[in-house]
Amino acid sequence: MENKEVVIDIQDVDISRNGDKVITSANLQIFKGDFVGVVGPNGGGKTTLIKTILGLIPRQKGTIKLFNHPIDSFKDWRRIAYVSQESNNFDKDFPLTVRELVGLGRINRSNLGKGLKSEDWKRVDELLKFMSISDLANKRIGQLSGGQKQRVFVAKAMVRDPEILFLDEPISGVDPETQERFYMKLSDLNTKTRVTILDVSHDLSAVFCRMGRVVCVNREVNVADINDEEKFSDVLKKAYGEHFRFVFHEHMCEGLFEND
Amino acid sequence: MIDPLKLLGYRFFQNALIGGSIAALVCALIGLFIILRKESMIGDGIAHISFGGIALGLFMGINPLITALLASVVGVLLINFLRKRGIAQSDSAIAVMLSLGFSIGLILISLVGGFNVELFSYLFGSILTISQFDLMIILGLGIITLFLIIVFYKELLSITFDEEASKLMGIPVNMLESGLNILIAVTIVLSIKVVGMILVVALLVLPGLTALQLNKGFRITSMISVIVGVTSVIIGIFVSALFNIATSGVIIFTLTAFFLSAAIYRHFE
Repeated sequence: MENKEVVIDIQDVDISRNGDKVITSANLQIFKGDFVGVVGPNGGGKTTLIKTILGLIPRQKGTIKLFNHPIDSFKDWRRIAYVSQESNNFDKDFPLTVRELVGLGRINRSNLGKGLKSEDWKRVDELLKFMSISDLANKRIGQLSGGQKQRVFVAKAMVRDPEILFLDEPISGVDPETQERFYMKLSDLNTKTRVTILDVSHDLSAVFCRMGRVVCVNREVNVADINDEEKFSDVLKKAYGEHFRFVFHEHMCEGLFEND
Repeated sequence: MIDPLKLLGYRFFQNALIGGSIAALVCALIGLFIILRKESMIGDGIAHISFGGIALGLFMGINPLITALLASVVGVLLINFLRKRGIAQSDSAIAVMLSLGFSIGLILISLVGGFNVELFSYLFGSILTISQFDLMIILGLGIITLFLIIVFYKELLSITFDEEASKLMGIPVNMLESGLNILIAVTIVLSIKVVGMILVVALLVLPGLTALQLNKGFRITSMISVIVGVTSVIIGIFVSALFNIATSGVIIFTLTAFFLSAAIYRHFE
């Protein structure tokens, strides 16, 4: 078997919130360069799992390691970027331009109290270009559409040049065409930069067509490779119930790929 | 009427312009963070806590700005303590400390024989009568505060915009929040002589609020905020000296005029 580098290692993790068990005995390994869809029913614990991996929510049992380093003493946050579900809920009058916001993504422990350098701004401009939002650089973030905002937040995350990108439902409430374009960009990022992506999503066809692995979360955590159709269906059933059917058909991904 | 140019030759007037401009500059910058963090109440709270400190200074015969600074910083730390321990929520914690500071002030004032002219100068400001020592305090505190805001401006902006994301970027959010609150306390104390503790929150909030009406990015908004704050203070000092009217009143009136003009401009834009 190919010897892949493990970037996220979760062993026997239990998570409770307000006394209720949200996730029990989770085991999960994510490898460098993986493009993983995190799916499951509402309230199943997807966001809780992501936030626990990031150390934002305490766990009751088990170990979590990022880059083989226990999360409790992990300090190398420059290697991680996260776009939360709540990113979009900012004050619409907040006085930040797109370029200023993406620039904030360059802050890390080594440049605290120091101004951003010209190479930081160069990287900001490269990311704006890559996400096709250069024309929005001087626009206020409150004036953007839903799809534009999400590309800006992904640019802010990616400008850190992270090794793992966590996305928590980054395109909820956005029209299908924008969603499609967004996933094209993510695939592109994953292919070109080998960044590991964990994307919490409700869009199973996007997960099936774009990503390599799926993590199904509904109190328990199950993993399958997308290519393994039987296992894929099996873990979806475990998350969504025995009667759940995900119908594969040949043309399903055509629309998603036609602009590649 | 006094010749405005002649006024510039007087030491007291130069002191007023320098002290007032520094206070306005710092207030305009830090006030923007206060507005964006939706914490205007903390400005009012600290101003009232400082009243206890001023009274303590008058009671003990120490420069009241020094005791006001100590009381404000202790007050801010106690507000943080109450919040972090979950003993009281943000606004309740401020309300508790505000009342405590003000009540201590009232007790001490009554012990030293009630309200006098000097106390009124702290309540309503008296920038035209600041001493050389007061000016040194304002300048010293102002330069330190300004330096720290400029050095940590991108981190302060980041924690103001998104605290959770900032934590995951390795920014020491709790330390910076406590630091910002201490800077707010320092800023309020250095502004007391300019507009007085009762109106200081207006000097903190109105410049930023005016700048925000113009829908610009953070850099330009900060610059507009500073220009509005400093211009208002300079206008206030000149007008009050020329027409012998209360400086703090003219400053806040000018700030309000700027704010209303910007709000009307935004409405019809």
